[in-house]
Amino acid sequence: MNIDIKHIAKLSRLKIEDEKLDKFEKDMKSIVDMVDKLPEINDSLSLLDPTEPMTLRSDMAVTNKFKREDLLKNAPEVQAGCLVVPKTVE
Amino acid sequence: MKDYEIVVGLEVHAELNTESKIFCDCKNAFGLEVNTQVCPVCMGMPGTLPTLNEKVVEYAIKMGHALNCNINRICKQDRKNYFYPDLPKAYQISQADVPLCENGKLEFMVDGEIKTVGITRIHIEEDAGKLLHDDSFAGSLVDMNRCGVPLIEIVSEPDIRSSAEAKAYLETIKSILQYIGISDCKMQEGSIRCDVNVSVREKGTSEFGTRSEMKNVNSFSAAVRGIEYEAKRQIELIEAGEKVIQETRRWDDAKGMSFSMRSKEDAQDYRYFPEPDLLTIVVDEEKISEIKNSIPELPNAKIKRYVTDFKLTQIDATLIAEDMEKSALFDACNTLNICKPKNISNWILADISKFVNETGKNISETKLTPELLCAIIEKIEKNVISNSAGKTVFMEIIENGGNIDEIIEKRGLAQNSDTDFIENLVKEVFANNEKSINDYKNGKTNALGYLVGQCMKASKGKANPGIVKETVTKMLEAE
Amino acid sequence: MRLYEKTASELSEMLNNKECSAEELCKDVLDRINETENKVGAYVSVSHESALENAQKIDTARQRGEKLHPLAGIPIGIKDNISTKGIRTTCSSKMLENYVPPFNATVINKINNAGMTILGKMNMDEFAMGSSTETSYMHLTRNPHNTDCVPGGSSGGSAAAVSAGEAIVTLGSDTGGSIRQPAALCGVVGLKPTYGSVSRYGLIAFASSLDQIGPMGKSVRDVAMLQSVICGHDKYDATSKAIEYPDYASNLKENAKGLKIGIPKEYFGSGIDDEVKDSVMKAIKEFELNGAEIKEITLPSTEYAINTYYIIASAEASSNLARFDGVKYGYRAENYSGLTDMYEKTRSEGFGDEVKRRIMLGTFVLSSGYFDAYYKKAIRIQNRISSEFSSAFEECDIIATPTVPASAFKIGENINDPVKMYYNDVCTVTANIAGLPAISLPCGMDSKNMPMGLQLIGNKFAEQTLLNSAYTYEKICGGFDALSKAL
Repeated sequence: MNIDIKHIAKLSRLKIEDEKLDKFEKDMKSIVDMVDKLPEINDSLSLLDPTEPMTLRSDMAVTNKFKREDLLKNAPEVQAGCLVVPKTVE
Repeated sequence: MKDYEIVVGLEVHAELNTESKIFCDCKNAFGLEVNTQVCPVCMGMPGTLPTLNEKVVEYAIKMGHALNCNINRICKQDRKNYFYPDLPKAYQISQADVPLCENGKLEFMVDGEIKTVGITRIHIEEDAGKLLHDDSFAGSLVDMNRCGVPLIEIVSEPDIRSSAEAKAYLETIKSILQYIGISDCKMQEGSIRCDVNVSVREKGTSEFGTRSEMKNVNSFSAAVRGIEYEAKRQIELIEAGEKVIQETRRWDDAKGMSFSMRSKEDAQDYRYFPEPDLLTIVVDEEKISEIKNSIPELPNAKIKRYVTDFKLTQIDATLIAEDMEKSALFDACNTLNICKPKNISNWILADISKFVNETGKNISETKLTPELLCAIIEKIEKNVISNSAGKTVFMEIIENGGNIDEIIEKRGLAQNSDTDFIENLVKEVFANNEKSINDYKNGKTNALGYLVGQCMKASKGKANPGIVKETVTKMLEAE
Repeated sequence: MRLYEKTASELSEMLNNKECSAEELCKDVLDRINETENKVGAYVSVSHESALENAQKIDTARQRGEKLHPLAGIPIGIKDNISTKGIRTTCSSKMLENYVPPFNATVINKINNAGMTILGKMNMDEFAMGSSTETSYMHLTRNPHNTDCVPGGSSGGSAAAVSAGEAIVTLGSDTGGSIRQPAALCGVVGLKPTYGSVSRYGLIAFASSLDQIGPMGKSVRDVAMLQSVICGHDKYDATSKAIEYPDYASNLKENAKGLKIGIPKEYFGSGIDDEVKDSVMKAIKEFELNGAEIKEITLPSTEYAINTYYIIASAEASSNLARFDGVKYGYRAENYSGLTDMYEKTRSEGFGDEVKRRIMLGTFVLSSGYFDAYYKKAIRIQNRISSEFSSAFEECDIIATPTVPASAFKIGENINDPVKMYYNDVCTVTANIAGLPAISLPCGMDSKNMPMGLQLIGNKFAEQTLLNSAYTYEKICGGFDALSKAL
């Protein structure tokens, strides 16, 4: 099965260099061919599992757990207590 | 031009007023300093995991009941994947194929008629952060305080046929959210927002036209403007022989126009899949009925009842029903079955509303009870006191409480219906107002009102106005 | 005999009897790291100072007569995808080369509460994607038994460090075999616990529904002791299970008599090296001689396990790794124009090729039009694999298989053939798919003098039975020779 590497890369926000494109296409094709070998089975499928119900959290707020500067310490660019990104509107 | 019909479906996002966020124990608060209500979980730090706030599930079920939905007591959350700087994990935890509530309906009044709109679904999800822009700055700034604020998304069927219906639908949704106490509904804070799906079709056809989805609609009046603009735009396209394309558009309320964001072809592929960090949500049947029983009669149902049972106008019914205290008082008074509902409604919307507005007090903080209010109205209805005397009694009661009969007695407010007394009163007034009598004879009928007023004044308000009017008329004819 | 050569349980006793101090122990292991690390390359970072500080603190506490955890002062290495507050946590990726978490993973809090000495962070395949530690952005890790060979992966650093004596015990993580496969290739013991028994909070996610942190060590008792430290319900991980967890180490006992061992024929097929098959069968025979009952069982859906695994794991990974976008933390490209370009350059420069392949595979199987054909199909088979295991555990207590098809391969041998590399996980992925506990034990050396691994798989939350069986085998062998003699 052939897959549209460029489209998938775009969806993944990845850019594959032209010189690597062939190798990627080949590798991806063989991986997809591998995973493609799944049999058609008609077992009923539910993505819900009520036998393992989730325990929910009580609605209680905890304040001042973290300092802003500690949370933003790893950010590539910070200004005025905010993360900085390229402009998102014209 | 052909006759067109507008078809609208609405997606309302309402922020829930829980203490903590949906997936972490950060405070759910508005307007605080940027990035101070944030923790590793809601800022999507590697290795962090969500834990679902039970109140969010409860509140969504509450809204589900209010909108007559089926509650899916077994459901799940899914990831909606897309890249944007206000979405730290690059996916939003939402619900895809199994929402918490679905297949409901909402009834509300529009122009005195009952309108029913189907509710497709209500699901729970997390809000994104905020992007801040400034012309002086080359980039955009990200404030993550709003990341993880709990939202419910209420999706309607395309059952709405006009901007007026859309507005009434939105107002009803808002009043219900407030009534059941799950959202602050502060439009200016963006705690309730909507996406609007609009299409048009020739009247009488059953197939839907191609729709556009309008985002960034931040107020109900903007929704009205947006729908009208968009319908007009689509009709003009069709009339010009062009095609409406399925697309997402951005509403610019300042410009009063919508702009294309993206077409269906480059629509986002959200790659939904079950959220593996959370297990299945399972709500007990008992919990669901407990929540159901906690829901009071809702404003839309009250409006319907007030209009049909008590013959109130839709406007009056709405004004009372949308205020929990006023409707409680109105309902309690009617249960006593002493006086006319219309009179109760007038008192609530006039004198009581005025008092509440002026003093800033709640009705429950005053001495007024349903029994006392009905007693005052009853005295007026039975002509024991005049309407203006009633206002005096009311002010005394609402401020200090007390016994109505004693107040009437003490202040001498009882109404005089004695015919001799009134005839003398009229004679006296006629003697001093010959001009008005002549005016009346010359066909100026409004002189009647003036003369009645003068009589009332002369009696210091105590004369029975009905008998006064009767007597004045009789004596004018006799002149 | 030097201290680093001993097991945690031996050292625990020595510390308790004041035959050595935690500081001496810590220094000896740090010395060992100095001696062999240039050959092995197990660590991404070593925390000399904080390690010694902790050791001294434990010694002082012991002097004062405070009651200490049995593992207090035992040096441990932590896989570099487990968040350590104030210590760089890189996932061996350029993307997180300089990322310092502001919080601890739950397991790290538990390790700290036990007073263990954290030596540093272990090298791994980038974002735990790989079976050889060759996809690490940092450096290669070599197999201590033969430094031309890979240590396995993705917890290659964790396994190599135990085998080289550069740590007494380590933590790894296992999504499709990432603890057991390197444990087998390096000749050490590695446990992948039941899904939900160890908190994942702070483990940088690869595939959330499959990932599990687990212990590695030189003996079953060491692994049991460490498992007792890290397991337990955590309110910060909704998938963690709230049940009573036994004290595995103090309950350890031999259980060969009457033990029902299932042998699934699907795990002994043509892809498995004959030497490996023989050594595993020999181990099973030993069990039988000691009173175990051997049963041939069948797990027919095993042949689809790898495919199923790569679909589910990659789908989740594509979403889990989307957050690395150059905005909040981690690498950001230097030159870009606009938001999308920033995203694409950051992610293309920050991730290695294997990570990119998996992200794209995951994006593909979730994308519009393919979700049903891949993801849903895989979930159906996952359910089948789980129910086949459930039936199997109705007739046996544990299941025995090889851990890996063959002993360690040469560095570079498989790196250009992703699919061939993926088949390294053929015996291990099923335990992740079904959420079962599984352990890899050394079961002898092959003709190339490289270790081979025996895998025992247990029923859900039956770690005690699994560890008892492993302990039984260890006793039968007269103890494991986990430390490499080749260095």
